[in-house]
Amino acid sequence: MFSFILRRLLMIIPMALVVVTLTWGLVRIAPGNFYSGEKKLPAGVEATIRKKYGLDQPWYTQYGMMMSNIVRGDFGDSLKYQGQSVNEIIRRHLPYSATIGILGYLLALTLGLTAGTIAALRQNSWFDYGSMSLAMFGLSVPNFVLGPILVLIFSFWLYLLPSARLGGPLSLILPVVTLAAIYTAYIARLTRAGMLEVMRSDYIRTARAKGLDERSVLLRHAIRGGIIPVVSFTGPALAALLAGTVVVEKVFAIPGLGNIFIQSVLNRDEPLILGIVAFLSILIMVFNLIVDISYGFLDPRIRYE
Amino acid sequence: MTENVEIIKGASLGRDAWKRLLRNKLAVFGMIVLGLMIVAVIIGPAIIAWTTGYTYDSIPEQKELVKAMGPSFRHLMGTDDAGRDILARVLQGGRISLMVGIISTTVSLIIGVSYGATAGYLGGRIDNLMMRIVDIFYSIPYILIVIVLLSVFGGPSTPDWIKWLSATLGGAGNQGLSQIFLLFFALGLVSWLTMARVVRGQILSLKNQEFVMAAKATGVSTFAIIFRHLVPNALGPVIVYATLTVPSVMLTEAFLSYLGLGVQAPFASWGSLAADGVKNIAIFPWQLLFPGLTMALTLFSLNFLGDGLRDALDPQTRKF
Amino acid sequence: MINSIKFIALTFPVFYMLKKRSSYFLIAVAALILSVLISGCSSSARGKYFGKTVAPTDNVLRYVTGSEPETLDPHISSGQPEARIYMALFEGLVEYGPKDQQPIPALAKSWEISPNVDEFIFHLRDNAKWNDGTPITANDFVYSFRRAFSPEILSSSAELGFFIQYAEAFKTEQVFVKNGDAFLLSKDFGGDEPKPHVAFGPETDFNKFIHEPARLTLEGDEKARAKQIEADPKLKAAVNGAEFVPVKAEDIGIEAIDDYTLRITLRQSAPFFVGLLAHQFFRPVPQHTIRTWGKDWIRKEHIVTNGPFRIKDYRPYDALVLEKSPNYWDAANVHLDRLEFYPLEENSTILNLYKAGAIDAFLNHSVLTSWTEEVRLYKDEYLNFPEASTAYYSMNVTKPPFNDLRLRKAFALATDRVSLSNYRKVTKPLYDLTPSGIFPEYDKAREKVSEEIRKERGIAPEVWANYRKFDPEEARKILTEAGFPVKKNGDTYSCPNFPTDAVSITFNTNENNRGIAEFVQAQWKQNLGITVPLKSQEFKTFLKDRHDVQYVGFAQSLWSGDYMDPYTFLGLHYGYPNNGDAGFNDPKYNKMLDDANAELDPTKRYEMLARAEFYVMEQQPSVPLTINATNWMKKPYVKGMYPNPGTLFAWKFVYIESDPAKWDHDVENIMADSDPQFERQLNELTATQKAVTK
Repeated sequence: MFSFILRRLLMIIPMALVVVTLTWGLVRIAPGNFYSGEKKLPAGVEATIRKKYGLDQPWYTQYGMMMSNIVRGDFGDSLKYQGQSVNEIIRRHLPYSATIGILGYLLALTLGLTAGTIAALRQNSWFDYGSMSLAMFGLSVPNFVLGPILVLIFSFWLYLLPSARLGGPLSLILPVVTLAAIYTAYIARLTRAGMLEVMRSDYIRTARAKGLDERSVLLRHAIRGGIIPVVSFTGPALAALLAGTVVVEKVFAIPGLGNIFIQSVLNRDEPLILGIVAFLSILIMVFNLIVDISYGFLDPRIRYE
Repeated sequence: MTENVEIIKGASLGRDAWKRLLRNKLAVFGMIVLGLMIVAVIIGPAIIAWTTGYTYDSIPEQKELVKAMGPSFRHLMGTDDAGRDILARVLQGGRISLMVGIISTTVSLIIGVSYGATAGYLGGRIDNLMMRIVDIFYSIPYILIVIVLLSVFGGPSTPDWIKWLSATLGGAGNQGLSQIFLLFFALGLVSWLTMARVVRGQILSLKNQEFVMAAKATGVSTFAIIFRHLVPNALGPVIVYATLTVPSVMLTEAFLSYLGLGVQAPFASWGSLAADGVKNIAIFPWQLLFPGLTMALTLFSLNFLGDGLRDALDPQTRKF
Repeated sequence: MINSIKFIALTFPVFYMLKKRSSYFLIAVAALILSVLISGCSSSARGKYFGKTVAPTDNVLRYVTGSEPETLDPHISSGQPEARIYMALFEGLVEYGPKDQQPIPALAKSWEISPNVDEFIFHLRDNAKWNDGTPITANDFVYSFRRAFSPEILSSSAELGFFIQYAEAFKTEQVFVKNGDAFLLSKDFGGDEPKPHVAFGPETDFNKFIHEPARLTLEGDEKARAKQIEADPKLKAAVNGAEFVPVKAEDIGIEAIDDYTLRITLRQSAPFFVGLLAHQFFRPVPQHTIRTWGKDWIRKEHIVTNGPFRIKDYRPYDALVLEKSPNYWDAANVHLDRLEFYPLEENSTILNLYKAGAIDAFLNHSVLTSWTEEVRLYKDEYLNFPEASTAYYSMNVTKPPFNDLRLRKAFALATDRVSLSNYRKVTKPLYDLTPSGIFPEYDKAREKVSEEIRKERGIAPEVWANYRKFDPEEARKILTEAGFPVKKNGDTYSCPNFPTDAVSITFNTNENNRGIAEFVQAQWKQNLGITVPLKSQEFKTFLKDRHDVQYVGFAQSLWSGDYMDPYTFLGLHYGYPNNGDAGFNDPKYNKMLDDANAELDPTKRYEMLARAEFYVMEQQPSVPLTINATNWMKKPYVKGMYPNPGTLFAWKFVYIESDPAKWDHDVENIMADSDPQFERQLNELTATQKAVTK
């Protein structure tokens, strides 16, 4: 087990560099420049800019220079926001996205696991149908629709919560709920499906036959197997959450990393794109590693060679 | 010697499943609604155009009519800000949304299941490598992929068969549709990754069971073990996940439209109609309501159908 | 909404009686949503003001500037959101006047203009300081201009300053050519003959140098220079054995005659130049801070500014908080204690915040089209004034079919701008390059010229009134004559020969552009029987196609004036390459503009410009669409903020009025309404310049 973890950890950095390379390739293929604007730049000025950023050199030279910096952890300065380094930007805005992301996912886990388990246990009851329909609702409404609806209800009709911008704990409620909605739906359905699988299986029948009470059966045996699909889902979901908070950040004017990332792609701000991509890819890989490790704990049938 | 042997039709897995499916009322309801929706979006636009003359892009000629109007007899779902009939747009948008859902999900299913099952069964180094590749692709921002695909292929270098498809489905001179097909590929390319992980997880727990060992012992080929024994047993969560992929893909497309990268004007999809409608929610709520409800209804049906399929195909699920 | 909840509660007992409880649940949820949505629109009664309107008790203005600023360095960014911030932090020679954007004294208390309108002398105040106490002198301006034009500074607004002698050469790293002791002169190689120099201000060595006949400049890059030399045999001969001397910062036409007198020399006459100097590119930066901190000088902990406000706190993407600067020379006349700038882009979020009373005013173009009907009713807050900003479709004149002038004319005539403006609700029709209603003197000149041309051509007034406006009949006729016959089928038209796959309306994806494109497409379909396909692209991709003139057919363009003179619009199609993005290059037009700018009499100049505009519009390089309107709101207790054509504010004039009796009413008359405090402040400020101009 230990060597397995070590091997995976060592692979992370080289893989992140591969991701950075592929992304760099994509950015270079995409048409448009960071310096283009509605008003055209005079040819002489454009030539000077290209020279300053080394854009007039052959692509392999540029790639080499960039990679040698990145390997040392230096992503350089943002092209659009002059004077701000990429590391600084990530450090500054990550906490916002992380806060609503983590709170959102915790809320989704709590609600989803509970609802999914109960629905599986009381299959075909009104709770089952009702909660799964509600979950379905969460899946059918895009978050850029749900957010404004919630703002309309809770901010403008009921005057309970602020409509945008962070400030005080109340302002976190609407963004977190909007974000959690779709994940709650996913988790509830995955849990229900997984639990149903497990509850019919032989080892659960054995446990019951042995005389264990339903509660032990549930908590000690069934849940472990039942939540495997949720665990598979969590790894990439958490990492995608960071980029997925974009809509919530736009609607509620929260200065998070998701919005900055999308903007950097639209602005062709290469250092910032690469920096965020490198960071996110390392995060995803770490999460996936944790997920894979927990498979081993949850299901004794899974063995890693 | 003549043989008067009665040939007894064996009950195949498929027929069993179909019978079980029909017994599930909600699934049948879902199938019917979905079927009706598909028929509606295929022939609906033509019918509307024939009876009322409204199409998805017809802005009225009389200046007074170029504004948002509430539901009425002439416009069953009201009009949008440019005076276009929302019913016509919802039907046209349905074509695109459904195509997005179905095509992208199919692509992701085929690639994801094959990839994930193979990785899960083969295990060891190969599994490691395959999953690392998934990790790598997962980290590449799909927005970037979409931008590159649309701009590199959307111009003069659009392959001919895409042009033919868009001419057939949207009428001549509609270059915008080729952008949509590129969108399908981009979305399909992105969604197979999580499917692969889910399938792999399932296969990992199944591969050490007795039936697999039995198959190996009798000399069944690896390919057959994976696709004829393991995959059908893993189908439960896979089908549920597939039915989760359809809304996810449709919502991703809506998100891309919100950012300006998805379905482009003059076409619409349910997602883009919802994105436009939400801006006016406080004053013209029908602009959000109708596309939203239609989308929700379709996705509801898909899910009931998915649940039914899971219950029907999984031989172990019995109601005790 | 309360009613619908009660309804559902009442039916709850039914729940237990139903067998199919699942359907109940679904129906209940659906009904709840439906009733919530429908009842919402009729729930709120209309108050006097739009949303919560309570004067803040502290002297703070909360304003939405637009997107997050690229940088706090005024020399680098050319955006409007940044401009609003720079106007609070940095003050230049002149400032934009609050009502009309014409220049008012700032750090320069007065200025003089040379008879040839190509040289300017500014008399600076002696009491101006940086906010760390360092005095500001003419040297600071010389340093700042040289820094702004240096090739290392990646400025997107540098082009504005190219009127200054040798500024362009320095910025683009060009070289002089020195043969022995003498420099080659531009007039010998195709340049204009220099005008005789009229003495203006004290004679200095630098002045003598800058008034020598202009030197020839060549490309700095060796390969490009070699190409230039090869192309001209006379040049090649002259360059033989010569030395290439890079243009230095000290060569630019700016000079500090003494500590408080600054002289700027241009390479051509430019009557609008003083107004141009209010642009952020020309504001001074603290040389002592830059020398110490280099590119980090703009960080919150190091930055030094000279404007009415200084930075209190800066949280990127969240808020920029400014406080009154005690060392500002005119601090006594700054009314606000604090300015809070919020960078927001989502219009619905901005409107929501305004309605909730969380912000006091916001930037232009922010009221969503669909909200306009309702918001318009709030006459004390909604500002709808013309802006110096236009929208038009550039046409690619380098490729068929639009290399044919007749086709361009036909499409322009088939566009009904009046109904387009009505549809957009916040714009007015545009038929030329320059918007009407912004430059009253120029509008008069245009009318005069139009009347003259009508008489020259002997056309009846009724026919002339509709000339180049909306005339679908004429459009169809021209199209038919050009070889694409338009057939009539009952009520509709069709034009089967027209190559619809060779044209498209290309625009970058956003709601406004899409709305315009769909509407215009419908018009052309209706009037000409031609369905022009739409092509929507992501912004940067779109810019590349448009700037390189690689698009087919039409491309959406927007242009805002950089200074208050019609030339900022007419210059769109001047020279090549130009910002008109049509591939249009007409030497006759270029000459007409050059001649006009050389004209010293303002009235005559406007008439020459008007003729040039008339000429170029007959060449139809673009289809003008609309003039944008300001389209923003402010709470009635915010005073001193006027809907000027650029939506740029001299923040020291703004104040919060706590007495509701004095709040703004009926802002349609806001420009004419009297505000004694504002007028007194403005008169005091402009008195110094008025004394000079008499």
